Amino acid sequence: MEGLPGGAFVLTSLEGVLNHGRSRSLWYLLFGTACCAIELMCTGASRYDFDRLGMMFRASPRQTDLIITAGTITKKMAPRLRRLYDQMAEPRYVIAMGGCTIKGGPFYYDSYSVEKGIDHIVPVDIYIPGCPPRPESLLEGCLHLQQKIARQKLADWQEK
Amino acid sequence: MTNAELTAYVASHFDGRLVPLDTGRGAPLFEVKLSDLLAVARALRDDPELSLNYLCNLGAIDTGQKLEVVYNIASTTKNLRLDFKVTLSFDTPVVESLKSVWPCADWYEREMWELFGVDVLNHGDLRPLLLPEDWNQGHPMRKNWDAPDFVRMPEL
Repeated sequence: MEGLPGGAFVLTSLEGVLNHGRSRSLWYLLFGTACCAIELMCTGASRYDFDRLGMMFRASPRQTDLIITAGTITKKMAPRLRRLYDQMAEPRYVIAMGGCTIKGGPFYYDSYSVEKGIDHIVPVDIYIPGCPPRPESLLEGCLHLQQKIARQKLADWQEK
Repeated sequence: MTNAELTAYVASHFDGRLVPLDTGRGAPLFEVKLSDLLAVARALRDDPELSLNYLCNLGAIDTGQKLEVVYNIASTTKNLRLDFKVTLSFDTPVVESLKSVWPCADWYEREMWELFGVDVLNHGDLRPLLLPEDWNQGHPMRKNWDAPDFVRMPEL
């Protein structure tokens, strides 16, 4: 963004405006399947205050830009997760929160029911390791996602 | 009624169809012949001294050599707890449904059917309960179960 001398006008690109708006109003889906959801709730509450990043939870996937997969995804849950993702408005983003969603986490061994990573169900933008990750980790992941959105080109959105 | 009195009562009644097993802990455990299962369950429930009207839990155990189905029952009026089990072979893992005795056996039997592969006669509604609807990889609680993406914990 460039301010013109005199300060009455600002010059910017369409891309810049859209990226700015999108990265600062990431509404996320209320989606918690295990203990990571507790940390997600904590991050949303007043101490860590997600709202100051423009992140507000919505109960419907049709109103969201972001899904934070907070918790274990079982094989039975996987098609439901895909369906929720498909219902979200584009452009849409995915944060894989916690070890379970990255590679099965503590359920990698000896488990018949847990999906070994969600990245073959939905495309993941940001991985946040931890079991569960602290709210600080989640906040940093969201900041990384904002930076990623700020770098996007118009052509990328059409592909997504 | 103490556990010792309960064991003596059950062993001496019911025509000896419940054979007490010594576990040394927990509720009294009895062995029941597979052919007696339904009759024994109904007799335990209807006995006025016991009135075991509540099926707390029902599950199978794969010991490697055989399958065991364990029923944990209780009386909500007499404050009693009692377990009994039947033994099955891997060739014919079939038990009679106890839905007609304790209706809550419905879901337990569905769970046992899908996870252990124990077929339940006269159940009438054997659909997957916990596993995905399109599950086709067998019975994951069997000791010898395996699947393409199943990773066993390495020996440490």
